[in-house]
Order: sequence, then structure tokens, then C-alpha cells
Amino acid sequence: MVPSRAPSRAAACYDGRVKDATRIARSALLLAALALLLPGCAPKLPIDEGTLVIALPGSPTSIDPRLATDAYGEQVLQMTHAFLIKRDAAGNPLPDLAESWEERSPTEIAFRLRSGAHFHGGREVTSADVRYTFEWILDPKNRSPHRATVEKILKIEAPDPHTVVFYLKEPFAPFLVGMARGIVPAGSGARGYTPVPGAGPYKVDDFQPDEAITLSRFGAYYGRSPAIAKVIVKFIPDSNVRFLELKKGSVNFVLNGVDPDLLPAALKNPNLVMEEEAGSNVSYLGFNLRDRILSDARVRRAIALAIDREAIVRTIWKGHADPADSILPPGFWAHAGGLPPLPHDPAEANRLLDLAGYRDPDGNGPKPRFTLTYKTSQNELRRRIAAVLQEQLRQVGIAVEIQSHEWGTFFSDIRKGNFQLYSLTWVGIADPDIYHYAFHSSQVPPEGANRGRYANPELDRLVEAGRRELSRSKRKEIYRKVQLLLLRDLPVLPLWVNRNILLRDRRLAGFTLTPDEDYTSVKEMRIAGQGRDAAGKRAP
Amino acid sequence: MRTYLLSRLAQLFPVVFGVVTIVFLLLHLIPGDPVEIMLGENAVAAQKEELRRELKLDRPVAAQYVEFLGGLATGDLGVSFRSREPVLREILSRFPATLLLAAASLLVAVLIAVPLGILSAMRQHSLLDHLSAFLAMLGLSMPNFWLGPLLILIFSIQLELFPVAGFGTARHLVLPALTMGTGMAAILMRMLRSSLLEEIRQEYVRVAAAKGLSRRATVLRHALKNSAIPVLTVLGLQFGALLSGSIITETIFSWPGIGRLMVQAIDARDYPLVQGCVLFIALCTVTVNLATDLLYSRLDPRIRYG
Repeated sequence: MVPSRAPSRAAACYDGRVKDATRIARSALLLAALALLLPGCAPKLPIDEGTLVIALPGSPTSIDPRLATDAYGEQVLQMTHAFLIKRDAAGNPLPDLAESWEERSPTEIAFRLRSGAHFHGGREVTSADVRYTFEWILDPKNRSPHRATVEKILKIEAPDPHTVVFYLKEPFAPFLVGMARGIVPAGSGARGYTPVPGAGPYKVDDFQPDEAITLSRFGAYYGRSPAIAKVIVKFIPDSNVRFLELKKGSVNFVLNGVDPDLLPAALKNPNLVMEEEAGSNVSYLGFNLRDRILSDARVRRAIALAIDREAIVRTIWKGHADPADSILPPGFWAHAGGLPPLPHDPAEANRLLDLAGYRDPDGNGPKPRFTLTYKTSQNELRRRIAAVLQEQLRQVGIAVEIQSHEWGTFFSDIRKGNFQLYSLTWVGIADPDIYHYAFHSSQVPPEGANRGRYANPELDRLVEAGRRELSRSKRKEIYRKVQLLLLRDLPVLPLWVNRNILLRDRRLAGFTLTPDEDYTSVKEMRIAGQGRDAAGKRAP
Repeated sequence: MRTYLLSRLAQLFPVVFGVVTIVFLLLHLIPGDPVEIMLGENAVAAQKEELRRELKLDRPVAAQYVEFLGGLATGDLGVSFRSREPVLREILSRFPATLLLAAASLLVAVLIAVPLGILSAMRQHSLLDHLSAFLAMLGLSMPNFWLGPLLILIFSIQLELFPVAGFGTARHLVLPALTMGTGMAAILMRMLRSSLLEEIRQEYVRVAAAKGLSRRATVLRHALKNSAIPVLTVLGLQFGALLSGSIITETIFSWPGIGRLMVQAIDARDYPLVQGCVLFIALCTVTVNLATDLLYSRLDPRIRYG
């Protein structure tokens, strides 16, 4: 019997259903593809709609001026909050909400507030708000990270709505630095990610952590109202993606957010321009002075002479950095000019190492004089720098073992003194009192940031005098001696100061690039070809 | 079935308890001080001690652990050290983004893997089979940190079809889902192909063919369902892993998911947030595994629980 080749009725019916299903699936796939393609047709760029889109490498953990500590939070606050005073690039105090101030005595400072400044909620800013802001920071139960910067305040008085008087426990020269803080309305609590109103040129419309913050122009700003009505700050952690967003035009302003390697490619885009100015973030190499080898100043000097900082600036930073001679950036009011240079001199480094008793066991052979460990974070650029330093020190017979840790572990090791060499960057130095905090013998962690355990009575005396002395010229002389002393002892080796690099859309203008990456002048920006509208005039 | 479900739910407790205990101990063993990170180096030692007392970090680890378990029993995961937001709110604010990306990645994987897996099994050793094997190899060997930027270059920069990064619209979802779904599709495709080939060689398939059923109908109606169990197992495991977030893909596409939240919490030594994230991820994984097990009985009536 020959089996029938004709399909059964049930099978034929099923086969038909399968064909139908296949057809439906094909049509659905086609429709889905079309649906994806259609909205992608040449979307309008934000700048065409008058929106400034800034990319920051990270999301702020807080946008409350009493709590924010990271650079991203500070940069957002520079757009949203009015500060009691501000600082210029050289560290000099400038008026903001306080139009003037007067030192009535070394422990009594009175600020005169401008009239006509309003919070985003509409209420006028008064001395009660200033008093409340600083008293909130001083209150231990609020756990403000800024408490230490204002701890010399004894009491605050607000005799009238436009005068606020600070009384200090003792004369304290860096006091004004702590006054560069955003002011919040009296009675404001700290509510996680919920923004606290400020009196700055922009108000916060929406804040989505790890995504973006949307700002809009504040019409009642006391100064000239911003020309750009809407600013979006996107938090984009990946450097390549920031570059691609710029290239596409979906981001039109990136300050220090594109790797030096990508800058030539970015500049091939005719819509982008680059601005470059001196920076203020100083990278340095830290030594552990309690280490048997590194406690010898000759060894530290030999390491300093073996490192070719010019070569690192040229190769890793592509020229977008300047060699540093102090942890104070050049241009800062207390930076000492004419400090003795530390040239690249391997021959002298070899001589100093021989003198210190660390002779090279096999001349130019593979055996090192000694081995040091170098700790760094997991940042890719930092690891490349570590590899270059390793090679440069190998040239003088010093073997370096690189240990790269995640940030929490790395920082914990540095604080505990569990290191020989490490590298970090000082960011946002506002006063030379940093020398007290970083090098005074009493400031070994957990008390301060003397991580290398440096102890020198002469330096202790100088930095103590520096924080008591109120005359700017006398302080400058004190800190000149401090810088000379540190270049002699080398508890840290200043490496370089990164330049600030702004990549922006060609049509944007009006931003002033400052060494301290200040975003205050965003309010001065305008988009070429877009007229200033009514709201862009001075508020009544 | 009900008994089985109850016993599985009962098993959930020791698993979750084990996970949170291990994480609690590990967090307290690794170097790094949350107080130093919160207050910065500026704060003096007395202020740090004050905060340490306030956060109860000055107490013995055992006492902190008992307190943590007590909070857990009442559903209180604590408050994030970093943001001062309740931990549960922090996690729930990120979970929709993670779930959306996980579901979309799974969909991408299934859409690629199922048709290609079926076709390559039906046409074994054909050009299409070799091509799909090549694609699977490519999908597996392309790391996300490379594939993500490549997709951005092609689809965002050159073709201008999708946004480069971000979160919010369906178009934002496409590239991260493709990045995560491609590698998964490669595994699923090879798994489905081999499983289907095994089924195609079974007696019942030959009987169906002998009865005159077309090859396509035989495979789609009979063999596919029977070969789906190992595929479902892999799918369940991968979906569970996707729900724990992907730090690489989330970083590339600025996606506000749980992966990034947890890494930031670890960096800041934000103990309550890390513990909360781990607990949540463990619960998701266990739930997905349970759901996968329950689906087995739907696919194969011979599998019965209870």
C-alpha cells in the first residue's frame, strides 16, 4: 500500500495557519522597522530651539549648597544659587549677594546685602536667610560637610534685613573663603534630591539623578537676566559618548569632558570650536615619609629629577597641561613666582641615589636599586600616567610596582598611610591655608590631609602664622617661604596643572573660561542668530 | 502546585538571608570609611567621630548586623548615607529603567535568536546555518564596551536614527537593548539550534512527516515546543542577571539603572544602599528563577509540581 502524499485536512489547515502567522509576523516586523525609522528623520537640534545642553561627567549627589561637595554639584549651584560672596580666578573675594563687607575688628565682619535679590519662590533675600544658611551648616545634627570651613564662627547676627554680622572665635584669615556659599531661604530643610530654591539666574525645573537637570531662566534675577532661556545639564559618564554627543549636536557645551586624544577628531567637526585657558587643578606625586627609603630627602629629589614632566605633558596630555612648581596654581594670588625649577636630570638623579647608598647592583642591567609601589585609582588616564612614571623611574634603576584600586580602597589606603608613592590632584584650592591642612604635623589623617606624614616645625610655625595674619601682602610672603621649604623637602612633587578645555558649538558665545572651571558666566551666554528677547533684559 | 509554590517561597528566605549576610560582612571587611567619604578630608576628627556615632558605625559589627536585620524584618532598608533619600525610594526610582532595559534586551535576543535558530536547525550545514554560526560567534566575542559605541557611531552619528545616549523615550531604548541583547541572542540561537536538531531527529517528528505534515509545520508545531525547555532555562538565568543591571551598558548610554546606582554606592561606601540593592537584586533573581520553573510545566505537561 502506498501512503497518500496528500496532507491530511488537519495538517493542511495547520499549515495554512502557520503561513498566515508568518505573513503577519513579517508585516509586523516591517511596520516595527518603519516605526523606528520614521521618527529618526533629521531631528531638530537643541541649539536650534534655543537650548543650551551641557554635559558633565558625573551626577551631583546633592544640589543643596549646604551639602554639595562634588565639582558637579558646585557647577550646577553656580547657575542656580546666588552666593554670599564669590571668588575670582586668583582667589580674591567678589561681591554677589553681599555688595560690600567690612572688617570691624579681626573677629567681627559685617556684610551689606544688596536689595532686590529674590529667591525662585519670589521672596526677597534677607540677612535672616544668610544667618539661617550658615547656622544650619554649623549645626552638628545636619551633618554638613562644610561645617569645618565655617567652624571659627562664634555667632551670627542680623541687625537689619540687609546687614549680617559674623563674630569669630579668633582671627582667621581664610574666613572669607567659607563665605562663598549659596544662600537658601530660611526654614529650608534638606530633602534628598529635592532642589532647594536659590536666588541665582536659573531655577531648577527638574532633577533626575544620573540623567539630567533642566534649568529655566529666572525672570526676577537681581542681575542681568540670562539670554538663554533653557539649560539642560546631562550627566554622561563615558568620555567617548560625551564626544559623540558633541559631534551629533545633541550636546553643545563640554568643559574638560573630552579626553585629549579625541580633541583633534572633535575639531574636525566644523560646528565645534575649542577654547583653552590655564587651569587650577594641580596633580602631584605623594611620598610616604615614614617609609624607610622615601624618608631620605635625596631619594625624593632623585625621583623628582628622574621624572620628565615635559614628556608626560607632551604625550599623555597632548600639550594641554603646564608643569607645576607648587600645589598653588600659577595666577593664584599666593603663588610664589621664581621658584627654583626641578629639571629632568637623570644623571643627577643617579648620583643622588648613589649618595643615598642605593647603588645600582648591575649598572644598566635589569636589577633595580630598590622597588617601590605606586598606588593609583582605576581611571584609565591615571593608569597610563602610572605606566609612564614606572618607565621613567626604571631609567634610573628604580623598579615601580603599580597597584590600581577602586576609589574607596585607594583613598582609604592613602589616608591610612598604607602606600609608598601615589598620585592625586588638588581641586578647587581657595586659600593658601591648604598648606596647614596638607602639611602641618598635626594634620595627619584622620585630622587633616597630611597623608605623607610630613613633620617640620619650621613649616608648622609658618602655616600657623599664615592663618592668623590678616594682611594679604604679609601672608603672601609667609606662603612664599612655605613653597620654598616644600620644594626643598619635597613631601610631595608638584607634577602639572591641567589646562581647561572647552568644546562648544560655534554659535555659542559669552562664556568666560576661568582657571577654576566656574559656570557662573553661563548666564552671560547667547546663541548667535537668536535675538535677545524681552526676558533677556535686566529685571526690574 | 500550591504546596510546591509555598515550599519554593519558603526556600527564598535562607537564600536571601545568606546573600544579605555575606554582603553585610564583605562591606564591613573592605577598606574605606563612609564617614571620610561623606564629610571629606576637611572635617576634623571630632566631627567625623560625631557622625560615626550618629550613623551607629562606632558600634561593633555584630550589633550593626542585628540592627540591620531588625530593620529588614520591618521592611525598613534605612536611609542612604550619600543622598539622604530612603533606600527603598532610591531603588524603586531606578528599577523601572532597569526592568525596561532588561525586557527590551530580552525581546531583542528572542527576535534575533528564535528565527535564526529555527532556520539554521531546519537547514543544517546550509549557507544560512554557517552564516548564523558566524553571527553567533561575532555576537559572543563583541564586548558591550565596544559594541555600544559602534552602534552609536552607525545608528546615531552616521544614520541619525537614534539618540546617542539618555533615557526617556522608546528611541533611547533601542541601542542599549541591541547592545545587551546581541550577546544574549548568540547564546540563545546556538542553544535553540542544537536543542531543535536533537528534537528533529526524534521518532515523532518522522511520524509527523510520514503523515504528510510539512517540515515547517512539524518543526514549529511539535519540535520547537519540546526544544524550548533548555532555551527557557538560559533565558530565565539571563533575565535574572539583566535585572541586576549592567554597569558597562548603563555607563555608555547614560542609563539610570540599578547597576550604576550600586557601583556609586560601593564607591561611596554607602552601606544601606549597597545592602538594599543586593537584597532587591537577590529577590528579583529568585523570583525569575521560580517563574522559569513554573513555566516548564506549561511547556511540558509531563512536568508536574506538588
